[in-house]
Amino acid sequence: MANMLTNKYIKYGLILLLSVSLIVFTQEIKHIKNPDSMPVTSMTFLGLSTLWLFSMIGIGISDLMQKTPVKFMREFPVLGWVSITSLVLCLLFDFFITAIQAVDFLSITTPILTFAGISVANRLVDLRKTSWKIAIVGMFVFTGTYLGSTLIASLGLYLAGN
Amino acid sequence: MKNKNFIFLIIFVLIIITVAEMIGFQSIPIGSISIGLLPLVFAIVITMILGLQLFRKGFWRHVYSKANIDFAGKYLIFIMLPLMARYGADVAPQIREILQVGWVFLFQEIGNLGTVVFGLPIAILLGLRREAIGATLGIGREGELAYISEKYTLNSSEGRGVLSLYIIGTLFGTIFFSILAPILLGFGFPVEALAMASGVGSGSMMSASSASLVAQVPDMESTILAYASASQLLTSFLGTFTMVFLAAPLQKFMYKLLVRGEE
Repeated sequence: MANMLTNKYIKYGLILLLSVSLIVFTQEIKHIKNPDSMPVTSMTFLGLSTLWLFSMIGIGISDLMQKTPVKFMREFPVLGWVSITSLVLCLLFDFFITAIQAVDFLSITTPILTFAGISVANRLVDLRKTSWKIAIVGMFVFTGTYLGSTLIASLGLYLAGN
Repeated sequence: MKNKNFIFLIIFVLIIITVAEMIGFQSIPIGSISIGLLPLVFAIVITMILGLQLFRKGFWRHVYSKANIDFAGKYLIFIMLPLMARYGADVAPQIREILQVGWVFLFQEIGNLGTVVFGLPIAILLGLRREAIGATLGIGREGELAYISEKYTLNSSEGRGVLSLYIIGTLFGTIFFSILAPILLGFGFPVEALAMASGVGSGSMMSASSASLVAQVPDMESTILAYASASQLLTSFLGTFTMVFLAAPLQKFMYKLLVRGEE
């Protein structure tokens, strides 16, 4: 049992290692294409290590929460736990902020969307199960939530004097 | 993990990233507004097109093997974790500023009811009935999927509605938001408000819309990322409550009003 547990975390650790390696690869390619963009420095590697560490801590917290009796805590997404972990540790130690900000933001997003595209490969056939009507409704639904929040936020920021 | 095709997946991913980054940021003017297409859009479009069944012959079968696709799907969330970890560093330096306008963050969560307000009338107009309940309750992510399946089961009309929206959102959500955000920016909405609105409750959709805002207004990068991630975090806390206590009752009320006299 203990062996299985360690294996699980080794696996997560390796996948996260893959993720941060792809980020540094992307950042380097981006820098070759556009020399004005952020270069890969030793601080970038510290930043990537920090991101790796925070992700592992978040996974650990999420697993611990599975044991709590509160449904809301059990179902809170691991993505949220990682953000909270990072927020708390960044508020406590400025060093983490400096390190993480040496990682280019847009270089983090390209590998994720590459995996996202591959992951839906077998779902494309599911499109047949949906109708064009739902697709149109979907456009209004997505626009609705975004526009709704934008309108309220614009009004709020205006009232707040920003 | 015994998967002999895994190495092909990694090489393929590296090639796609290189191609997407080499295409780079493309600005496409449409009238007075310009839409910026980021490398991430090219990455998802290329991988989706190459994943079509008709291309999966010969060598591509090894790249898009079942094990590789399953790996991408199962561990996508782990690939995304470093992004979530990055957001802490964006929010932390601006925490004071964010708390000062904290009420605006709370208030704009109500904007998520826009799915019902804008979506439901269109759905009814198109002739959808009970499917519309599932398809307009929210943006059709895991939260809505769980709620609808608990209340109506996924085999019901409502279930089919939410499932269809889930599929469409998975396939096209990120592309849609990376185009919508710059369009609204072109309409003159403040970038802070658009950043706040980016926290729609789906990590990849939030990343797409905030990333395309950053590409349009690079000077505001830190504010955009801070606002978007703070709002996203808030949505992940409050989303369920907004859905159950606000969206669902509003939807019920509007639905009755719109199909009055029919059933």
